[in-house]
Amino acid sequence: MAGAGLIWIALLGPVIALLTHLSWSAISSALSAPGALDPLVVSLESGAVTLAVLLLLGTPLAWMLARGTLPFPRVWEAGVLCSLLLPPLVIGLLLIFMIGPYTPIGQLLAHVNLSTTNTFLALVIAEVYESAPYYVLGAQAAFSGVDPRLEQQAELLGDRPRRVFRRVTLPLAAPGLTMALAVAWARAMGAFGAVVIIAYHPFGIPMQIYSTLQVTGLASALPFALVLLVVALPLPLAAYTWSARARGRRRG
Amino acid sequence: MLEADVEVDRRDFAVRADLRVAPGERLALFGPSGAGKTTLLEAIAGLVRPRRARIALAGRLLTSTEPPACTIPPWQRRVGLLRQDPGLFPHLSVRDNLRYARSATAPGAELAKLTAELGIDGLLAAMPARLSGGQAHRVALGRLLFSHCDALLLDEPYAGLDASLRRVLTDLVVTLVAEREVPAILVAHELAEAQAFADRLAVIDRGTVLQAGTPHDVVLRPAWRRVAELVGYTGFVPVPGATGTVAGIHPERVIVGAHPARGLVLAGVVTTCRPAGALWEIIMQLRAGTDDRATGGAIAGGVAAEVGVAGSGVASSGVAGSGVAGSGVAGTEQTRGPVSVTGRLPTPQVAGEELVITADDPPCFGPDGAALTLRAAGIGR
Repeated sequence: MAGAGLIWIALLGPVIALLTHLSWSAISSALSAPGALDPLVVSLESGAVTLAVLLLLGTPLAWMLARGTLPFPRVWEAGVLCSLLLPPLVIGLLLIFMIGPYTPIGQLLAHVNLSTTNTFLALVIAEVYESAPYYVLGAQAAFSGVDPRLEQQAELLGDRPRRVFRRVTLPLAAPGLTMALAVAWARAMGAFGAVVIIAYHPFGIPMQIYSTLQVTGLASALPFALVLLVVALPLPLAAYTWSARARGRRRG
Repeated sequence: MLEADVEVDRRDFAVRADLRVAPGERLALFGPSGAGKTTLLEAIAGLVRPRRARIALAGRLLTSTEPPACTIPPWQRRVGLLRQDPGLFPHLSVRDNLRYARSATAPGAELAKLTAELGIDGLLAAMPARLSGGQAHRVALGRLLFSHCDALLLDEPYAGLDASLRRVLTDLVVTLVAEREVPAILVAHELAEAQAFADRLAVIDRGTVLQAGTPHDVVLRPAWRRVAELVGYTGFVPVPGATGTVAGIHPERVIVGAHPARGLVLAGVVTTCRPAGALWEIIMQLRAGTDDRATGGAIAGGVAAEVGVAGSGVASSGVAGSGVAGSGVAGTEQTRGPVSVTGRLPTPQVAGEELVITADDPPCFGPDGAALTLRAAGIGR
C-alpha cells in the first residue's frame, strides 16, 4: 500500500509541479493569442485518425498473435517490440530514410500529391509508430484472455468464425481492447520524438509546447501542457470506467 | 442415427473406433484418463482432424476421408458438446445464453417449459458468474437442447459436482434424450456414472475399444483382462490345472464360505478389514503352501487357490476384437509371491484369522489376456 502510494505520488509529481508553476494570467494570455488553440485541433484530429488506423490494422494482428495462427510468432512479436525499443527520435530519423521525399515510396506518394514530411499524414504516421506497439501488445493480451473453448462452443452452436468473433471474442476482449486503446491514445497525444523529425508542421500540442519554449520560454509553454492534459485525459478515463463497468456486469 | 468410424492420430497412439448410436440411445465411452475418449467426441464434433473417418449423423455425411471427401465445419454439424466446464458466455445473461444458437428460435412457451424442467426458470436474468456449478450445468444443457442439435456429446460433464447433483442431472439427461430421440454419447472415467447413464457401454483403453455391450454384461463378462481391471476386478488368481489362466476377482462378487458350485473358493488369512460404504472391505492373503484336500490344487509359487471343482478344462471363447492385446500375461503371476484379493462383505472379519470366500462365477483369462469359457467340468456353473 505504501509502495503504491509512493509511486503514485512520484508519477503525479510533474503534474503537481505544473500546477504550482502556472498562474491564471499566464494561462489566459497564452491561450488567448490568435490561433493558440489550433494545435489542439490538430492533435485531436491526428489522434483520432491514429486510433482508427490502429483499430483497423492493429486488431487483426493482435488477434492472430494471441491465437498463434501466424507462422514464427516470436518473429512477429519481435517486430512489434522493435518499434517500442527504438527511441522515437531514431524512428523519426529512420522514417526519413524509409518514406522521405527522396525515397521510392516518397516519390510514389508525390505522384498522388502526398508528402510524408511536415504534413498531417506525416504527423499521423509518426503517431502510429509511437503508439502502435502499446495497442497491439495490449490487445494481444486482451484476446489471449478469451477462452478458445468459448469460441469453439459458439461454433458448435452454429456460428461461423466471423460471427463468433463478433458475438463472443470481441465482447469478451472489449474491456482489455478499450484499455489498450486508451493507452495508445495517450501515447499518440504525447508523441514527440518521431514527430519533431518528420512532422514539425502542422503543430500538434507537443510541438506547440516545444516551439513556444524555444521562442518565448517556459512560462508561456506550460499552459499548453495543461491543455494537453485536460483534453487528452477524459477519453482514457472514460475507457477505464467503461471497462470496469463491463467487467462488473459480468460478475452479475 | 450417429455413425462414426474414426481413426485419429495422437502423439503416443492412434485412436480408433467404430461407433453406432441410434436415436434415443445412450452410449457411454468408459476408460481411464488419456484413453482417447475426448478425442473421439472432438472428431465427431469436427474439432480435430481425423486421419481416416466416416462420420454421419441423421443421414447427413459430416466427415469422409474417402472420396468424395468432405468435412462439414463445426457450425453446420448440429452436434452439441457439453464439457466439464459448462462454457457459458460470461457476457450474456442466462436467457441470452439459452437463446444463443441461431437455431434457438423456440417460442417463449418452449423456453418456459424447458427451463422449468431444468429448474432454471428463476435464473433467466442472472449472469453466469452468479450461478452455482449445478445451475451452470443445467443452463449449458438447456442451451444445447435449445439449439436443437441432432446429437448430444457429453464429455465428463459432471466431474467435480457432488454425487446427488450428478444423479439428478444424469436422470434429467436420460429423460430428455428419450424425449428428443437424439443419439447421446457420454464420456466417463467413473464406471458408476457410465452405468447410470448408458444403455450401452464401450470400454476404451489406449485408443482402442476393447469391448462394447450392455453395462451389466461388460461388468459381469469382461472380454479382456484389461477390461476386467478397468471395471473393478482387483484380484487375479491363478486357476489350478490351467497353466497361465487367471480368474478375475471382483470385490463385490464374493461371498463368505465355500460354495464350489457357485465359483472359485479362495482360502487365506485376513490382513485388513475396514469399513467401505455399508460393507466391510477385507484384504485377504491367499494361503501359501499345499492343500491336502482332493478338491484343492497346489499352485506353483506357493500360492494356493482352493478350487471347489477340480480339473478345469479351458477353451477359448472367441472374443471379438482380434489383434487387441490384453494388458499382461497372467501366467507370470504364478511364479511371483503370495496373491492377495479384496472383497466387500456384509460382516466384519477379524484380521489375522482364516477366512474362506467364494468368488461368484468369476471371469477367466488366458495368457494372452482374452476371456475364456470354462467347460461345465471347470469352475463354477
